[in-house]
Amino acid sequence: MDFILQLLTDPVGFYSTHTLLIAEIGINSMLAASMFVVLYSGQLSLAAPGFMAIGAYTSVLMGNYWNTPLALNLLVGTLLAGVVGLIVGLPVLRLRGVFLAIATIGFIEALSLGVILNVPITGEGLGLKNPSADPLGGINIVLGSLAVIVFLMWRLTKGRLGHAWEAIRQDELAALSQGINIARYKMIGFVISALVAGYAGGLESHLNFFVDPTEYGVPRTVQVLTFAVLGGSGNVFGPVVGALFLTTLPEIVRVPNFDYRDVIAGAILIVVIVFRPQGIVGRGGLAIVRPRWWPRTSRASSPG
Amino acid sequence: MKRDRVILGLLAAIVLAACGTTSTSGGGGPSYAGKTIKLGAILSITGAGGVYGPQSRDGMKLAVDQINKAGGVNGATIDLTVNDDASLKAQSAQLAQTMIQQDLDLALLGPTLSNSAVGVHPLAESLKTPILAVSTTGIHIVPDCNFPAAAACKYVFRDSLGEQTAIPDNIKSYAADKHPSTGVLLVAQDDKFSSDGGKIVQDTVGQYGINLLAVIKFSKAESDLSPYVTQAVQKKPDVIFITSLGGIPAKIMSEARKLGWTGQFLGGNGFNTATVSKQAGADGMGARSASAWYIGNTFASNADFVNAYKAAYGKDPDQFSAQGYTAIKIIADSAKRANLTFSDLAGDRDKLRAAMETVKIDSPLGPFQFTADHDVKQTVWIIQMDGQGGFTLLHEIPAS
Amino acid sequence: MGQQVLNAIFIGSIYALFAVGYTLVFGVLDILNLAHSAVFMLGAAITYSLVVNYHQSFAVACVLGIGACAVMGLVIEYVCLRPLRRRRAPPIAALISTIGLALIIVAAVEQGRPGSAFAWLWVDGANSVRFPPDMIPNPTWHVDGLTLEATKVVIVPITLVLMLVLGYVIRFTQFGRGLRAVAENPRAASLMGLDVDRMIVLTVVLSSALGGVAGILFGLALSDISPYIGRDSLEIRGLAVIVLGGMGSIPGAVAGGYLLGLIEVLALVVFGSNVRAGVAFAALFLMLVLRPQGLFGAQLRERL
Repeated sequence: MDFILQLLTDPVGFYSTHTLLIAEIGINSMLAASMFVVLYSGQLSLAAPGFMAIGAYTSVLMGNYWNTPLALNLLVGTLLAGVVGLIVGLPVLRLRGVFLAIATIGFIEALSLGVILNVPITGEGLGLKNPSADPLGGINIVLGSLAVIVFLMWRLTKGRLGHAWEAIRQDELAALSQGINIARYKMIGFVISALVAGYAGGLESHLNFFVDPTEYGVPRTVQVLTFAVLGGSGNVFGPVVGALFLTTLPEIVRVPNFDYRDVIAGAILIVVIVFRPQGIVGRGGLAIVRPRWWPRTSRASSPG
Repeated sequence: MKRDRVILGLLAAIVLAACGTTSTSGGGGPSYAGKTIKLGAILSITGAGGVYGPQSRDGMKLAVDQINKAGGVNGATIDLTVNDDASLKAQSAQLAQTMIQQDLDLALLGPTLSNSAVGVHPLAESLKTPILAVSTTGIHIVPDCNFPAAAACKYVFRDSLGEQTAIPDNIKSYAADKHPSTGVLLVAQDDKFSSDGGKIVQDTVGQYGINLLAVIKFSKAESDLSPYVTQAVQKKPDVIFITSLGGIPAKIMSEARKLGWTGQFLGGNGFNTATVSKQAGADGMGARSASAWYIGNTFASNADFVNAYKAAYGKDPDQFSAQGYTAIKIIADSAKRANLTFSDLAGDRDKLRAAMETVKIDSPLGPFQFTADHDVKQTVWIIQMDGQGGFTLLHEIPAS
Repeated sequence: MGQQVLNAIFIGSIYALFAVGYTLVFGVLDILNLAHSAVFMLGAAITYSLVVNYHQSFAVACVLGIGACAVMGLVIEYVCLRPLRRRRAPPIAALISTIGLALIIVAAVEQGRPGSAFAWLWVDGANSVRFPPDMIPNPTWHVDGLTLEATKVVIVPITLVLMLVLGYVIRFTQFGRGLRAVAENPRAASLMGLDVDRMIVLTVVLSSALGGVAGILFGLALSDISPYIGRDSLEIRGLAVIVLGGMGSIPGAVAGGYLLGLIEVLALVVFGSNVRAGVAFAALFLMLVLRPQGLFGAQLRERL
């Protein structure tokens, strides 16, 4: 509770003493944005942490071994994540709904457990030290990048890509009959999502002195999914709001000598989603996992 | 007149000297009456680290209560805030920032887990705030918190006996007793604590004539370790090294005994709590480790601590409580000698740091000092599990 | 090697039992119940507490423990699932509400310490404990160089009997027919007079009870009961199993369980180190790409 009081009464002071928290919100928002792209195009891809890992490890390894500047490291990490996204997307995007979700989970776990933990250069289980990290100074890059990414996504959804994605999400069959090249647009969405996630991962590693291999598995992907669903993925601001809310939630419920924060967090999660299933920012469009009983009304954009 | 001035000067000197010495209670330093020493602890109360954090907290709080009741530190009360980092390194680092820059704590304690310490310690160092680790025993905690940078971190200390000391001492003492020739190492490769310990085992065994037949890696989240233990036992080693903590040592021990293996278990700090000994039960009997603390030590600074802890909390303390308690005592003793101004936070933090370097106290861990690297300088207690949830003391290795 | 095969069979049985609960709910509701792993853990935790803290016999504790899981099934349906169905929420919302419930359950057990609000449930906090060794007779036999432990051996017949009973119920009883009707087409089933809601309640309760049984067996055979046993390894393995076996198929879940156990152990023996989990997910990924319906699943309707 002191948290909110301070924010309201002394925003400048709050900002300067909470830069790490704000940076985390920024990174989580980027991840949520990455999730937004795939959800908006009707794909339940849970691959974000895998691309994050690629971005993070590449960026830190380059910095450690070749002493290249941060911008270059992030660029290469991001591009590599995009390339892997392309490769992984090829076999995987034929799958729909929950099957895609599980395939992407398979990808991230295989990457985490099979690759990272067994390739010596990554430091394996010990993780990778990042001596050039700058936790306090990195916030400017984070906030700046976030603004750019959110803006770009917002523009994308207003344009031809966005309309194609929305059509695909509503009803693939109808979209196909309208002449939309589903495979291509899905892949574009998947790769964009990979690029953003890779960038976020690389940037996150710049804020920490240590890349931890255990942070790119299922719990992370569940967390990112929750940002997007709780915030509502009708537009890009939904997941960002979701990320903001959920990242600050542990601090809002931080009360001295009260250890039940997770119980409260779980309860809040249930309450929010039950009373507002389309998310905080809402406007539906999440009918991407269609069970057989889901009404197939192709014009409806929101179940209410 | 010259003589008058001399007499006046002498009188002034006497008065000043008298003022200087009357207001201290028990040895050295100005009075801090009416002041507060603000300390902050970052501990894992929830999450996987929650098996250690609460004990550290309880030990710390006991010390704070005792000191405050006895008049405080030169009259100043200690105000300790404990914050839970949920075993998450992001929260840990965020807490460190707010406690240093917003709460304006004089010094920090913790964090509980090595993974969090990797981020928090360099942050405290860069913000020039003393931080005392109370449970992290891995490598590169002190003095090189910014590893691979070689420069020593001036503000980071620890009172938790490192694995770099504990594991070799344990192996050395067992090798001297029983002369084993072969061993197998089981290590949780995705756990920094276990990996660090494993590396130390691998670097050390050769010196004592033990041939490491295999290094078997598993994932700490796995519940079924039987395939790995089967592999280990099939090599028929004299010793099985277990560098994990939590529920893992007991599971490995019970699997190995069920498979009929009768050799010796050697471990690190992961063996040192009653929880592990109880979980291992009869399967763990005889398992050895090097500990920073032994509950049965009868010297006053431990006996008093154990009794007070039991009276306050209704249960036995463990190594983490002892280290938490000692940490507060270290800071309190240092604060006493540090000549704090309570008006210049940056200056006070630096003075506290300097005073900590020369601390020398009796604690539940035995006589305690810091090495030049801000690491632990204390007696190492070689203990073994007694098969019934407790430990017996085998050897004492005094600080070199 | 023989010992490793035995290990595979024992752990495979537990995977199978766990996955059957998952697949039941998915088959009928097209929803992944992510609170299932928490219920699994709860079964073990409550049974342990009853034996150790309340001094009940193992038999009584088991009955009460499984009963508590069944009750938790009611909670899942009435709190997490039904309100969302009533509001015609997108199915992905159910993922979030079950995640929230899982969070609450795990946190409640984790914060169970002497003197805390949850001490009636559990007092060992985040620690890992085991059933008292002398709780039930547990002889170990050494046959042919292999070690057989009673508590592990007994899992196999228990699993098979439960699966046979379940199979019989689904194929030959009225309840089973109703279940299959709802799984096939809830709209039609309700039009034909079936109380769909009641079928769903029973499904979730049954699934949770099975999860509880799996949890108790797990705690017994692996000597490991902690707040994290569901989340850490079983949850994603459960997913892998139902993918391998075919989602919605019970024989598939059983076959998939043993298959996964075998794959993991083979990977360990062949590659010698912890590539085990990574290989499991690689297998899952391959299965999804090559044969998404799994071994036993029906042809997918969702593929274009």
